[in-house]
Amino acid sequence: MILNNNVPNRKKGTMDQRKIKRNTIGVFLVLMALYLSLIAYFCYAVLFYGSRWFADSYNTRVKLDEKNPQVIPGTIMDRNGVVLAETKEELIKDPATGKIEKYYLRVYHDSAASVAHVVGFNHSKYGRMGVEAFYIYYLMGYNNSLLEKIYQKAFLPQERGNDVVLTIDFRIQDYVSQLMRKQGKKGSVVLLNPKTGEILTMVSYPTFNPNNMESVDDDSLVNRATQGLYPPGSIFKVVTAAAAMENLEDIRQRKFNCNGAVEFDGARIQCYKGEAHGELDLAQAMAVSCNTTFANLGVEIGWKNLLRTGKKFGFNEDFLFSDIRMKPSSLHLNYKTSKQEMAWTAIGQGRVLVTPLHMAMIAAAIANNGVMMEPKLLYRVVGRNGSIQKQMEPGGYKKVVEEEVAGALKNMMVKVVLEGTGRQAQSDKITIAGKTGTAEEGSAGQPNKNLAWFVGFAPVDNPSLAIAVLLEDVGQGETGGTQAAPLARKVLEKAIELGY
Amino acid sequence: MEWKGSGEMPAKQYEILALIMRYWFVLLILYIFVRSLFSTVRYLSSVKATAQESTGNIPFILVLFALTAFILLSLKDELNVLALLMGILVCSTFLFQYLFLCYLFKGMDRYLLLMVDTLCIVGFIMLQRLQPDLAFRQVEWFGLGSIFLLLTVLYIKFFKYWDKLNYPLMVISIGVLVLTLAIGKEMGGAKNWIQVWKYNLQPSEFVKIILVFVLSADLKTKKSRVERLPILLFTAIIILLVVLQKDLGAAFLYFCLFVFLYYIATSDLFIVAGASLMASIGAVISYYLFGHVRTRIAAWRNPWADVENRGYQIAQSLIAIASGGWIGLGLGLGSPYVIPASKTDFIFAAICEEMGILTGISIIGLYLMIMARGVAIALKAKRPGDTLLAMGATISLAVQSFTIIGGVIKLIPLTGVTMPFVSYGGSSMLVSWGLLGIIQGIAIKNAGGNQDDPEQQRSEQEKGYHGSEED
Repeated sequence: MILNNNVPNRKKGTMDQRKIKRNTIGVFLVLMALYLSLIAYFCYAVLFYGSRWFADSYNTRVKLDEKNPQVIPGTIMDRNGVVLAETKEELIKDPATGKIEKYYLRVYHDSAASVAHVVGFNHSKYGRMGVEAFYIYYLMGYNNSLLEKIYQKAFLPQERGNDVVLTIDFRIQDYVSQLMRKQGKKGSVVLLNPKTGEILTMVSYPTFNPNNMESVDDDSLVNRATQGLYPPGSIFKVVTAAAAMENLEDIRQRKFNCNGAVEFDGARIQCYKGEAHGELDLAQAMAVSCNTTFANLGVEIGWKNLLRTGKKFGFNEDFLFSDIRMKPSSLHLNYKTSKQEMAWTAIGQGRVLVTPLHMAMIAAAIANNGVMMEPKLLYRVVGRNGSIQKQMEPGGYKKVVEEEVAGALKNMMVKVVLEGTGRQAQSDKITIAGKTGTAEEGSAGQPNKNLAWFVGFAPVDNPSLAIAVLLEDVGQGETGGTQAAPLARKVLEKAIELGY
Repeated sequence: MEWKGSGEMPAKQYEILALIMRYWFVLLILYIFVRSLFSTVRYLSSVKATAQESTGNIPFILVLFALTAFILLSLKDELNVLALLMGILVCSTFLFQYLFLCYLFKGMDRYLLLMVDTLCIVGFIMLQRLQPDLAFRQVEWFGLGSIFLLLTVLYIKFFKYWDKLNYPLMVISIGVLVLTLAIGKEMGGAKNWIQVWKYNLQPSEFVKIILVFVLSADLKTKKSRVERLPILLFTAIIILLVVLQKDLGAAFLYFCLFVFLYYIATSDLFIVAGASLMASIGAVISYYLFGHVRTRIAAWRNPWADVENRGYQIAQSLIAIASGGWIGLGLGLGSPYVIPASKTDFIFAAICEEMGILTGISIIGLYLMIMARGVAIALKAKRPGDTLLAMGATISLAVQSFTIIGGVIKLIPLTGVTMPFVSYGGSSMLVSWGLLGIIQGIAIKNAGGNQDDPEQQRSEQEKGYHGSEED
C-alpha cells in the first residue's frame, strides 16, 4: 500500500503521521466492507425478491387499463386447457352519458368460485391477487424477447401478454369445492404430486366469485391453503417421530407404556378421552396417536434436535418458491423452552403453526422417500403463436429425511389408516396412508373451536398423490379421523379415477 | 398520486428506439465503470502510479453517452429542440469543466473527476426525463459547483492558516443551525431549509464541509483529552441541533465524520467508544421520543405491512427497481413518477427503473472507487492535516452515498440525505463539489510538492519508495 513510513514529524505537536496512515487504512477497510455489503445485498435482494416486488399489487406499471390498455393480459388455463380467466372486449353503455364504449374486462370461468383463490383476480379497483398477481410478469408479456417486443409494438394494434397454463386439474378442483360446500365448513384441501411437486388441487373454503367483486367479504378472500397458519395437532407427530428416529438410537425396539396421561411441571397432557393405550411401540403409538408417548419423546429429544428436524421439514423457513407465495410455518423453540412446552410442541399443540400447503409438502416428502419437491403451479407459459416460452420442470427443494427414516414413517402412516385413527380413510379402490390430527384452537373455554386434519398419500406402493385436508370449527366429539379422513379418501379416489 | 407527464403514452417508434437504446446505455456505463476500476486498482496497488494517468477515451465515451441519451429524450413526443440543446449544453459544460480543470492543475486526479462527472451526467439525464427545467437548474449548479471546487482547491493550496479560523467557523455553524431551527422551512418532514433570496438552502449541508475543516484542523495537533473538549462539545451541539430539525441523515453523517476522523487522528478508542455509546443511547431515546423515527424504523423492518402509508416510499422504490430489471425499462418508458421524491432522495430507484440494475451497480461501484481514490490521496499526503482533510471529505461523500442508497434498497432505515452529485439540489451539489475540491486540492499538493517548504523537500529526497511495509 501507499505508506510513506519515513516521513519525520516536522513540527513538535503534530500527530504521528504513521499512526494516522495506519488508521486511515483501517477506516478504508471499514468503508470498503460497507460498500461491498451494499452491492452484495442489492444483488441478493433483486435476485431473490425482485419478482415478488414486481408482482406486488401496488405496482401500477402493470395495471390493467380497462379503457385503453397498452398490453392485453393473457389467458389463464388449467392443465387440460380449461380457460379460467381471459380478457374480453365488451361494449358497455356509460349510464351517465349514454355513450357506448369499448372496455377490456377480465372475465372468469362460470364456476370460477372453485378456483378463485388460485386464479385470484385483476380488478381495476380491488387490485390483484393469486396467479393474476404473481404471474403478472408473464401475463403482461414482460418475459418476451426484445425482438418479440419490437414486433408487437410495430405491427400489433395492442401488445399481448402471454398465456399461463396451471398445473391445477379443474375437474378435481371443482369436485373438491363442491364437497366442501356441501360440508359447509371452512377449510382447505391441497393435493399434489409428490414426485414432481405439481399442485393438482388447492381449494380454500369459503370462496368468492371473482366476476362479482362488489359483494365479497374479507374472510373468504383469504387463501387458507397458503396464507392460513394453523396449529397442526397430531399430524405434527410425523415430524416428532422423524426427530426421534434421527436422534434416539434404540427407538425402533423401544416399548412405551401409556397410562392415559403424563404430567410436566404440573401441566397434565392426556390422551384422547383420557384413554390408556398400555404398552406400545413407536408405530403403534403413531397409529393410535398416543399423546403421552409423543409428549415424553418430545422432552427426551430436546428442543435442539426437534428444531433441527423441524427446520429440515421447512419450518421457520422463508419459502421463496418461484411459483407460489406462501406464509412461513413457525416452530418456536429455543433454549428457554420448558419441558412442558416441549411436550406440547411434540404433539403439535405448542407454539407451532403450519399452512395446509406446507403440510401437504411434508406428506409428499415422506411419500417421495424423504425428498421434498418444490411446489409447482405454473405448468407452462404459452406465447403469441402457441410457442412454449416456459415449461415446468420439477425441482427438488430439499432432502428432508433419510430414505430409511422416510420408509419407516411411511409404514407408520400405513398402519394409521389400516388399524388406527385413520380407518375412515380406508378405500376399497386404492391403498391410502396417512395421519389424522385434531387440534385445539383458541381458548380452552370454546370446545367447538377444533381443527380436523388429515395428511397422507396414495397409492402406498408407488405414491403419485399427496394430500392435506384441513377443516375448521368441527363440532365436539368430531376429530380428524371422522371429518377429514373421509374427505381425503373421496378426493384421492377421484384423482385416481381421473388417472393420476 | 402524482402522474404528471405520464398521461400521454410515448409513440411506438420512440418505444422501440428506447427499448434498443437501453443496451447501449448500459454498455457505455459498464465500459466507464470497468476502465475506472482497472485504473483504480492499478492506482491503489502501485506506489509509482500518479493521478495524472491518461483517461484515454473515457471523456469521449461520456459525451457519447450524454448526447445519445439527450437525443433519445428529445424524440419522445415530437422533436424537442430544447432537449437537444440541453444535451449540447451538458456536453460542452462537462468538456469545458474537465479540460479546463485538468489544464489548470497538473496534479488533478483525472479519473476521480471523470467518475464524478459520470454521476452528474447520469443525474442530468434522469432529471431531463423527469422534469426538464430542473435539469437545466442542475447544470447551473454543476457549473457553480465546479467554481466552488476551484475555490476550495485554491484555498487548500495557498491558504495556510485555515486552522486559525476554527473558532469563528464553529460559531458560524452553530449560529446558522440555530437560525434554521428558528426561521427554517419544513420540507419533506425535516425543518432544515432556509430561504435566502429566492433560493432554498440547506444549512446542514454547508455545516458538513465546515465540520471537515474544523475537525481536521483541531485533530492535526497533539492535545490532551481535556484540550479536545471544545471540539467534542461543538460536535455534540451541532448533532443535537440537526436532530432537533429532524434531519436524521445529517446527524448520522456528522457522527460518522467525527468518529472516523477522531479515530484516525488519535487512535483513542476510549472516546470513540464513548461517543458511539452515547450516540446509541441517543438513538434509542429518539426512537421513543420522536414519532418520525419510529415510522422510519417500522417502514424499514417491513414496508409491506403498511404499504399505503409508512411503507409507501420504500415499497414503491423496490417495485420500481424490480420493474426495471437488469437493463431497465428504457429511458422514458417507466413510471418513475410513482416513486416519491424521485428527483431527490429516490433518484437511484428511478435510475434503476429506466436504466437498469446494472447501471445501479455501476453507480455504487463508482462511489466505491471515488472513496478508494480519496483514501489513496489521503495516504499519499505528506502532513497529518492534509491526510485528515482528504479523509474527512472522502468519509463524508462515502457515508452519505452509502446512507441514501442503502435506504432506497432497504438495507438500512431511510434517512433523508441526497445522493451526492446525482440528486437534484443546489446545496447538495455545491457542497459535494466542495468536498471533491478538498480531495483534489490535496492530490494537487501531493503531486506538486511545496517549493517553499524546505523540510518537506528534504523528506522527499530521503524518501525513496518503501511502499508496502504496513507498519
